[in-house]
Amino acid sequence: MESFFVRYRNLVVLLALLVAQILGLAMQVRRSSGGQAGDGHSVQLIRLWANSIVSPPEKALHSSGSGISGLWHSYVDLRHVRQQNADLQKTVDRLRLEQAALLEDAKQGQRLQALLNFQQKYIYKTVAAQTIGTSGTDQSRVFYIDKGKNEGIDRDMAVITADGIVGKIREVFPHTAQVLAINDQTSGAGVILEATRIRGILRGNGAGQPQIEDVIRDQRIKPGDNVLTAGGDQIFPRGLPVGVVDRVLNDPERDGFIEVVLKPAAHLDQLDEVLVITSTEPRFPPDQQQDIATSEALKGAEAEKQKTSEGMAEKLPGLIVPNVPPDQQPLNDTSNPTPVSRPPVALHPDRFTPGNATTPNLGTTPERSLSAPANDQSTPKKKPAPKAPENPGTKPPAAPQGENR
Amino acid sequence: MSVLSAESRRDFEIHSYPVLIYALVPIAALVLQAWLPRVLGRFAWFDLPLVVTVFFALSRRNPIQGSLLGGAMGLFQDALTGHPIGINGIAKTLVGYLAASVGVLVNVENHAIRLVMTFVLSLVGSATYFFVVRFLLGMTIDTQWMAELYKAVGNSLIALVLFPVLDRTKIRD
Repeated sequence: MESFFVRYRNLVVLLALLVAQILGLAMQVRRSSGGQAGDGHSVQLIRLWANSIVSPPEKALHSSGSGISGLWHSYVDLRHVRQQNADLQKTVDRLRLEQAALLEDAKQGQRLQALLNFQQKYIYKTVAAQTIGTSGTDQSRVFYIDKGKNEGIDRDMAVITADGIVGKIREVFPHTAQVLAINDQTSGAGVILEATRIRGILRGNGAGQPQIEDVIRDQRIKPGDNVLTAGGDQIFPRGLPVGVVDRVLNDPERDGFIEVVLKPAAHLDQLDEVLVITSTEPRFPPDQQQDIATSEALKGAEAEKQKTSEGMAEKLPGLIVPNVPPDQQPLNDTSNPTPVSRPPVALHPDRFTPGNATTPNLGTTPERSLSAPANDQSTPKKKPAPKAPENPGTKPPAAPQGENR
Repeated sequence: MSVLSAESRRDFEIHSYPVLIYALVPIAALVLQAWLPRVLGRFAWFDLPLVVTVFFALSRRNPIQGSLLGGAMGLFQDALTGHPIGINGIAKTLVGYLAASVGVLVNVENHAIRLVMTFVLSLVGSATYFFVVRFLLGMTIDTQWMAELYKAVGNSLIALVLFPVLDRTKIRD
């Protein structure tokens, strides 16, 4: 047995390594298929270690100007020039390089300015970040940004640019974060076609292009159609630009379904600065905030006014209270400071005049209506109109109660 | 190709390097692999960790060391991706083992052999990667074989330049 292991030591070690890694993979897949979101603690730890090793040199490369390309232009190319030219030529080249660097700085300044303008106009709270590295493989479209947990970044936050959406935060480290781009094959975002209002799920394909899947064939979908975020994925706010339809392909695996390949709005291959949406609470500019506050105050005052009037209406007495003598009716209560509006004095009081209790209500008694002469109903007798008072200060005689006050 | 037996070739041609080279070259490869695609975009047709794995496996001619180095490089790469950790690990473990095993049998000083080996092992690594992804994990990932071919060519060209440079650092008796 011992000789077997000695003889096949290499193969045994290889198999042991492979089996260990396959088991590790199986555990990770089992965890993710079991409905647990994200990686396990140990896997997160491995990712953190790897990130801790890679991020500092990446940041150093990034902060040292143009990195490798800068080294090429500033050192290799200059040495070549020095060999061919005199000092004057070298000075000219140096100035050209400085000019190029300034131009690059100016371009970066313009980009940052545009990003800042967008950030100021954007109604959500965002954090600006710079990309510092990638996963290094085509199979995983993730990249790293120079902001992490300490800057308020958290998992599943949306990453955007002024042009459109970019991806979402997948892993967070103290000073960096991993972003899963929308053109990764494992990504997913709810989108909607602006013209046709058809919804679908956005994923990346093998060529690194985002495409909408699970879409039933529809002749209305045309290249050039705008695609926006649908807002149902709880990550991207709705209405953000995603891209335009590039081409429509038949789904090779399912009849009747199509794949809508998009041209992304954001330049996913050349990302420098991005914005991370750290809060989806609306954040308005100061002038809009003032408008909102004024509107809220007005609305509050109006509501308060309505509430007060309702309260007063409840407290106000009714005009006629049953089982109360006429002289004690609240209508006649002078202690109430609020003047009660009364009907005007009737010029020709009749039996329907309020308070005219002396007139019997004959018309409403069935006996009376049946026994009354026909001419009584056809030609009702007009009561003589009371004389208008010659002296306005004198009260008219036999004025009904409640009217002569 | 020489007619020496495998054991005698191993005894004669095991190369050693300063510890700093063993430590820095793999890390530099991993850092550059993570950083260069940001500069080169979709034209980053290379896999520096694989090239370094092949180089040390060929130089050391020890399948166990080759497997361990390849596994470590692959796991590190996996940790930087959004995929489960172990996919690249398995692929590069196999590449390291095969490079060291074949390195025992052939003259690894020959540039043409290095070129061909790097090219073939790159394709083996890619095939293993997609095998693990497709059949072990059941993930639906499109296979871009043309891109993998470009990557194998890029790895070979890098190996053509990098291997002689690293050869200069080996410890001579």
